[in-house]
Amino acid sequence: MAPAVTATHVPESEPAAEYEDAHVHQVYDHIAGHFASTRYKPWPIIAAFLAGLRDGWIGLDAGTGNGKYLPLPLDRPGHLWTIGLDRSRNLLEIARTAGGSEREVVWGDVLGHAWRPQIFDYAFSIATIHHLATPERRKVAVKDVFVPWVLSDDKTKVFQRYYHMFADGELAALVTLAAEELGLTVGPPHAALNTRGMEIVQDGWERSNHYVELRLWQS
Amino acid sequence: MVRLITHNLLACHAKGCTTNNFPLEFKDVQVVLRESEFNPEFLRGFMPKIEWPALLGAARELGDTSLPDQLPEMLDDDFLKALHHVLLEIHVEEGIMICPNCQHNYPILNGIPNMLLAEHEIA
Repeated sequence: MAPAVTATHVPESEPAAEYEDAHVHQVYDHIAGHFASTRYKPWPIIAAFLAGLRDGWIGLDAGTGNGKYLPLPLDRPGHLWTIGLDRSRNLLEIARTAGGSEREVVWGDVLGHAWRPQIFDYAFSIATIHHLATPERRKVAVKDVFVPWVLSDDKTKVFQRYYHMFADGELAALVTLAAEELGLTVGPPHAALNTRGMEIVQDGWERSNHYVELRLWQS
Repeated sequence: MVRLITHNLLACHAKGCTTNNFPLEFKDVQVVLRESEFNPEFLRGFMPKIEWPALLGAARELGDTSLPDQLPEMLDDDFLKALHHVLLEIHVEEGIMICPNCQHNYPILNGIPNMLLAEHEIA
């Protein structure tokens, strides 16, 4: 199915948060059951990312939806813990038992940061930041997930919800800008002492999804 | 869910509340115990991230006194099993978490903590 690329513009007169509430949060709460039943297959890039992580790590899935990534990796259940965050209460009711076991889920906004600082070993956000209605809010969301991770964005086949359509290069530019504003050096690790930086590990487009994988480093 | 693993990570994020905003204090809680699979590999890896006094305080508040005052140097099976139970088998199903600094209330309903803030409360 072709993506719903027909333009939905956020009216300038309407505050972004209220726009998102009406056009994203309420819609997801309403369609949670159907949405969850049609979104069960993990994206292989994320499955591979999680399969490569160490025992004992904890991470955040910002915009977990039905929680389909929370049970991964399937061959090491319980060896790492991913906590699922979402704005839709009804989706969380589904996510809390994703994969047939109990998961840790939190009702919150990706623009919040209800966590001890720098506590997560990894974080990822899939098909989420495109629901934020302004470039500034998308940038803040990236910053809030700024602890080691994968960020991605998916923009396929959905109608009636607000979606920002990312152009090629826009996601990488967004995370680069967010990193610079946080005082991070952008690029591979270098020898200068006491430097923190962010490196883009992968930046691509697959199955109509833009994604970018980042690594935080400290020297 | 709010198990103590999650409680040990959550902090108040209301506007201007940046110090003494952890750990959140439980009030009027209902707790359910559910067994889960013991994973020493996870516990060993996760241990350095635990805020021990916060975990100890929360466990005792919920009636579990199995953990020692200090994190032991030797991680034997008895200790790891007690830690597993405290982190992953005590479920807070209902109640409130209150910020020790600004007193913001975060309700827990059906095992899901509500960490949403009104737009004007967001930092």
